[in-house]
This record gives sequence, structure tokens and C-alpha cells, in this order.
Amino acid sequence: MSQRKTFLLLLPAGVLLVVFLAIPYVSVFISAFREPGQGTPYGEGYTIANFTRILGDWFYVKQALNTMLIGAVTTLATLVIGLPVAFQLARPDLKLRGLFYGIVLSPLLVGIVIRSYGWTILLGNNGVINRTLREWGWIDGPLPLMYNTLGIVIALTHVFLPFMILPIMSAVQGIDPSVGSAARSLGAKRPTVIRRVLLPLAMPGIQSGCILVFVLALSSYVTPALIGGLRVKTTAVTVVDAMIDTFQWPFGAALALTLSVLGGGSVLIFARLTRMKWK
Amino acid sequence: MGRNVLNIYCLAVYAFLLAPIFVVVGASFNAGEFLTFPPQGLSLRWYFTFFENEVFLRAIGTSLWIAAVATFFSVIIGTMAAIHYVNFAGRYKEAVRVAALSPLLLPEILTAIALLFFLYDIGIGTTTMFGLLVGHVLMTLPFVFMNVSASLEAYDTDWSMAARSLGARPFTRFRRIMLPLIKPGMIGGALFSFVISFDIFTISLLLKSIGTATLPIQLFDYLKTNYTPEAAAVSTLSIVATITVVVIVEKVIGLKMHKF
Amino acid sequence: MTEVRLNRLTKIYSGGKPAVDSITLDIPSGQFVSLLGPSGCGKTTTLKMLAGFEDVTSGEIAFDGEDVGRVPAEDRDIGMVFQNYALFPHMTVQQNLAFGLEMRKVSKAEIKRRVQATLEMVQLDHLADRYPAQLSGGQQQRVAIGRALTIEPRILLLDEPLANLDAKLREEMRVFIRDLQKRVGITTVYVTHDQAEAMTMSDLVVVMFDGHIAQAGAPREIYETPKTAKVAGFVGQVNLIEAPMDPATPGHAATPFGPVPVTAPGVGETVTLALRPEAIDIAPAGAPGTPATIERVQYSGAIVDYTLRFADGTAMEVKTIPRHPFATGDAVSLSVDLARFRQLEREY
Repeated sequence: MSQRKTFLLLLPAGVLLVVFLAIPYVSVFISAFREPGQGTPYGEGYTIANFTRILGDWFYVKQALNTMLIGAVTTLATLVIGLPVAFQLARPDLKLRGLFYGIVLSPLLVGIVIRSYGWTILLGNNGVINRTLREWGWIDGPLPLMYNTLGIVIALTHVFLPFMILPIMSAVQGIDPSVGSAARSLGAKRPTVIRRVLLPLAMPGIQSGCILVFVLALSSYVTPALIGGLRVKTTAVTVVDAMIDTFQWPFGAALALTLSVLGGGSVLIFARLTRMKWK
Repeated sequence: MGRNVLNIYCLAVYAFLLAPIFVVVGASFNAGEFLTFPPQGLSLRWYFTFFENEVFLRAIGTSLWIAAVATFFSVIIGTMAAIHYVNFAGRYKEAVRVAALSPLLLPEILTAIALLFFLYDIGIGTTTMFGLLVGHVLMTLPFVFMNVSASLEAYDTDWSMAARSLGARPFTRFRRIMLPLIKPGMIGGALFSFVISFDIFTISLLLKSIGTATLPIQLFDYLKTNYTPEAAAVSTLSIVATITVVVIVEKVIGLKMHKF
Repeated sequence: MTEVRLNRLTKIYSGGKPAVDSITLDIPSGQFVSLLGPSGCGKTTTLKMLAGFEDVTSGEIAFDGEDVGRVPAEDRDIGMVFQNYALFPHMTVQQNLAFGLEMRKVSKAEIKRRVQATLEMVQLDHLADRYPAQLSGGQQQRVAIGRALTIEPRILLLDEPLANLDAKLREEMRVFIRDLQKRVGITTVYVTHDQAEAMTMSDLVVVMFDGHIAQAGAPREIYETPKTAKVAGFVGQVNLIEAPMDPATPGHAATPFGPVPVTAPGVGETVTLALRPEAIDIAPAGAPGTPATIERVQYSGAIVDYTLRFADGTAMEVKTIPRHPFATGDAVSLSVDLARFRQLEREY
């Protein structure tokens, strides 16, 4: 096939991505500098007031920092919890591997609203955990598990755990098993093999897992909205409020952009710090 | 010994992964008025309530319809792009890949807002389902692309050349050789796409037109104000439906794959 | 039966040096021709141009005098066997064999008849309903050859078809392919980097280096009268001797074995002579011949290889049946029929 004909294969995807993704991203960037509108989504003139309002208000700054903190802690938690599981799942001789793999994938099939809903049942003041602990006599009043940052982090950790496990697992599966044997033949004990050989080789998977979870956690809406309720709001929740409830489109766009720039910057710094020379 | 510790740790993680799903399923059989776990007696009453609740039924209908249409377009567009990516992209390969995966890499909330502005600017707004569909096609495209490219990477271009040497023209080569061999990837991609579309939230929330709430939106709205186990019944049915579809498709593709 | 002619055939990939550089070659009808050379010599590119998978940059490819250089692969009527067989994994053996006939809109009954004939020809009638993945490497190989032949192509092209088989099977398949080709009588072009395959199977061996044909000829001709040191070395082991002209006997070069007649440059210059290791006779010291010392012995059963050194420091390889139990360090005597020396062309 000629060059021109093969290009036609790319055309529909290209049109879709340019018209409905690239151009909208340009327009959202411009719209963040629009004046607020009266009865319309945005006004005629241009202004930087949307951004000065965010940066000048400790409420929004603190909320953005808290959102970033939630993202970072969630990433760390999924890494700590997911890493051993990823290594276990990568073992080809593992019994019931299909079942465990299915369990790791299961949250993805269940839907984010339902999973978050499950956590409200677990974490609420009258939820499964508090009720059980009270019945066992371990606590008197309910532990504050919901409507706070802790609850959001617990639920997000659950929601995004598969996104940490799967990339690490495929990276570990890609490691030639003989490098481990080689290290042991050179006198390395098992922990040393893991620390000096396997972990560095799994690094590409760890890196992409971390970036994926962090970005997803920052922009997630459902879980913080359900678990945080009205008491703890992340920036993403405030953005949606601004767009839907208070109809401040330019401000919502500015806030979403600010969060994205903060998140994107953190990802770049992280990628730079964890750069692998051998890749 | 180290291995046992690892296994116990992993079992704990699996329990953690399944816990919220189990409590939702358990709560749906609650006979009581309020959401509690463990349930106060078993009953199917909330399932009957659900079957009489038109709002949820309509939301499920909307979700199924959008997922089906979005998947249809995603599979066609994504498969074409994947064929180009694997066979013809040459030195632009990485660029094509990043572009095709970009809806996944960009924050969904910003994509939703961007589309909202764009639809408003071109005068369509959220008066039709067009925006909602475009958003779903965008978000599901990467999954089709990834699955089909993976199956294409395993596709040996010598097969096409062999077919050529035997006299097969381009369309015949596609229909008789390439299509049957990448079909598992396409079905996998379609399945992923369907499940993802069924679960998309932020895009649906911002781009939905009036009366086109999808199931996640309806469920979310309901949960903000209600605490009855009806939501758990809806969720359980949705879980059962998804798992059934996945298992059936897996079995069907699985059987086909064994043949060669 | 098709006669193939390549005329100044050239392939240049964008901006590079020619992969195939103006090669001209006549392949008589029904002959088995091997393109032999190291990887990157242009043999596979030549094959792909013959098949129509690569465009011709310049020059022509003629089948029976008709230029097919612009005919697309699907219309060229060639049978192609790929290195990894390229069997369609989702089709049974039978379906693979029928595919080319279906493309030619052959009637169902005729397809059935011809597929059955091919199955018998490649001795696979008992495996007609298997999928490729259920066959051994050698069986897959035979399906691939059968598939290419079912369409009764004008020429048969094989791209290193034995490279993925183990040594024993490879030798069986050599005989199988060659017998089949003789029986069908089809003009065949066979690409390989294995000189043993090329030598044992071909009517004509074409040795290629750097996009050029270095030498083309019958296997025996290539082996016994190589034109250059590179050709001599590629088709077998060889002793290369830089011999000065012998001032005592004009028109002769001086070698450790005595003066060898050459088409000489002037006195005082050297010529390059090739001598196959098996042309040299080795006898215990004291026998008539040139004395030398054994440096290394490589015994492999039917054959023993010796590395020897003359008093002047020149090394020499000798290949012989193990007649005497020589060991490293033994003094021996070497002799050779001077007619076995070949003078090589200079390479530029």
C-alpha cells in the first residue's frame, strides 16, 4: 500500500483526537482567562482574575496542597501494598494465578461509584468497621474514618491499586529469570537479589504505576465526593462544583488547569528523579 | 518461610480488594430499611423496589446504549489506528502511540471541561447526546488501541506476504488473514471499552444532556441523599452482569484461541 | 517451466548505498539456483524483488523474456517459502494449501483434487486437518513448500527455509526439497548463508557480497576454481598463500611445495594462491615432501584437521582421513599435486 493510502487508517483517530481533544484543550486554556459571564457560561473580555483569585485565596491553595498530599500518600500506599503482590503474581509457577489475577482486576470491572459506595458502608460511623470494633469492645465512640482525608486515602488506595500492580507485574514478568540465578551464583542472598537486581529491573513498571496512580488520584472526583462528603473537598470536587452548581465556567477551568499544572510538574520532577540510565 | 509471609500478605491484600465489593453485595440482601452490614435479615425486597424504579432502569438503558455505540466506534477507529501504528507508522511510531493513549494520560476532569467548552463554542452544547458519545469514544479508544496493537505485534507480516504470493489482494488479505488473527484482540478491546464506558463518571457528569444520566451518575445522585439498600441491589446486579459478560467472552475467545 | 533473467537489477533504499548493485544473471528453465552470501549481501533483497515484495529501483526481471518488474506480487505467479514458514495459524493444513487456489477462483472440486495431490506429494495426507501449531518443524516446512507449489507457480522462491530446523532434520529436508524440485521441474531460487546447503542442492551457486555477484557457477566450479579469496573462503576452508614470483623459474610463483605456474605479474611482485586443505597429503617425517611441524590436531571421527607450521613460519591447514596417529609437536612431511593450486584474482 502507498504511503497516502496507509495514512487513511490513521485519519479517523487523528480527526477525533485533534477536533475533540487537542482543540478543546486549546479552548479550555483560553477560556480560563475569560471574564465570568452573566447568564452565559463566560463573558466577552479576558482577565487573569480567575488565577489571582485562586492563588490569592489560602482556601484554594491549601485545598490544592491537600489534594496533592492525598495523591502522594495514595501513590505511596498503593506502591507499598501492591509491590509484593505484583512480584507474587509475576511468578509463573504460582498456583491459582488466574484467580488472583482476576481478584486484582475485579475492582476495574465493578465501577468506581460502587466501589466508593462499598467504602462508605465500611468506613461510616455506623459502618462495618466501627460497629465491629464497638461490639468487640475495643472502642467507645466511632473512629473518624469517613468525611476526612484518611477515609479518602483508604478508598483511593483501593480504587487505584490495580493500576499500580499491573504495570509492575508486567515489568517483573519481563525480567529474564536467569539474571536472578546469575546473581545468586555470584553469592548474593535472596534479599540482596531483590534489592540489587529485581527491584532496579522492575523500576520502569514502578515508575509508570506511580505516575498513573498519582494522576488518577489527583483528578478523581467520585471517591472524594462520596467519602469526603461536604466536609473535606479536594480540588477536583471544587472544580465540578464550580462547573455544575455555581456555573462559574472560567473559574472552574482555571482551577482545573492549576491542578493539572501542579500535577504535571510533580510528574515531570518524579520522572526526572527516577530516570533510568539503562533504559 | 519468606515465601509464606509473602503469601499471607498477598491474601490480606486480596481481601482488601474484595472487601467493598462483598459488603455491597451483602448489603443488597438486607431486609431492613437502612443500609447496614451485616444485614438485618435476608430479603430480596430491594431488588423488587429496583425493578419498579424507572429512574434506575432508564439509567441502565442509557448506559448500555452509550457503551454499545461508543464501543462500536472505538473498535473501528482504534483498530484502524492500531494497524497503522504497528505496520506503517515507521519513525512516527512513538508519536502515534502517545496520541492514541493521550485520553488516558490527560486528567479526565480537564478533558471533560475542555469538551464542555468546545461543545458550547461550536453551538452544540449539551442539548444532544453527541458530546457524551464523543467523550466516551475518546476515553475508550486507548483500550481498543492497546489491545489490538498487542495482537498485531504478534501478527507476522510474513503472513500477509505469503497471502500476496498466493494471489490475495489487499482486501482479501485483510478479511481472510489479518482480521481472523487479530479478532481476539479486537474482542478484548471491545470488552474493555464496554466496561470502561459503563464506568465513566466525570465526563458523563459534565457532558450529559437532560434526561441522559448514565447508571454511575444516577447511582451517585441517589447516594448523595439516600441510604437505602436499593443502591446496593442496583450495584450487585451491575456487578453480576459485568462479570457474566466478561466470563462468557473470555470462554468464547478462550475456546477459539485453543484451536491455533 | 520458466527461464528467469535478471538484467542490471538494482535496489537502492532511500539515501543508502545500493543493497543490490546492478546484478545480471540468467537462470535456465528448471534449474535450482542458490543465492549464497553473508547477511546483508543483498541475496534476500534480490529474492524479494523477484517475488514482487520490493520495488525494483532499476534494471529488469524477466520471466521467459517478459518483464515482470512492475507486476504486483499477487499477480506474479510465484511460489514463496518463508524462513519461518508463514503458515496461516488459523487455517488447517488443507485450508492453507487451498488458499492460493481459492484466490485463483478454481472450482471446489478442482481445489479438492489439487490439494489432495499436494498432500500426497509432500507426504502429509494424514495431517490434512491439523493446525500448523500442532505440527513439527519439518512438517510445517513441508506444508509451506506444498502451499507454494499447489498454485503451480512459474518459479519457486525459498528464503533460508531450513534455518529454523535442527541439524539432522536439515539434512533430510535438503534431500526432500531437491528431490521434489527435480520431480516437479520448477525453476527454483534458494537463498541461504549456509554453503553446505548451497553446494549440495544447487545446479548453480551464485555467491554474493555487498550487493554484487562475486561468482556464479556450478558447485564444483565455485569450490575448485574460486575467483577471489572471499569466494574461496565462503564456500569452504582454504589456505591462502601470498607467493612471490620465483626468480629461478620465470612464470612461476615460489611456494613451500615448489614453483607453481601462474599467469604472472612482473618479477618481484606476489600472487595469491588458494589451496584446499584436503589437497595436501600428510606423511611421517622422512617421506618425500616439505617438512613441517604439527601445531594442533582436531579429530572429528571421519576427518582430522591439522594445523601445521613450516620452518619459515608459514601456517597451513590440512584436512585428511585419520590415517596416522599424529600428535601435536610431531614432525611430518607434506606433499601436494601442484595442479591443485588456484591463482586468485586481486580484490579491490
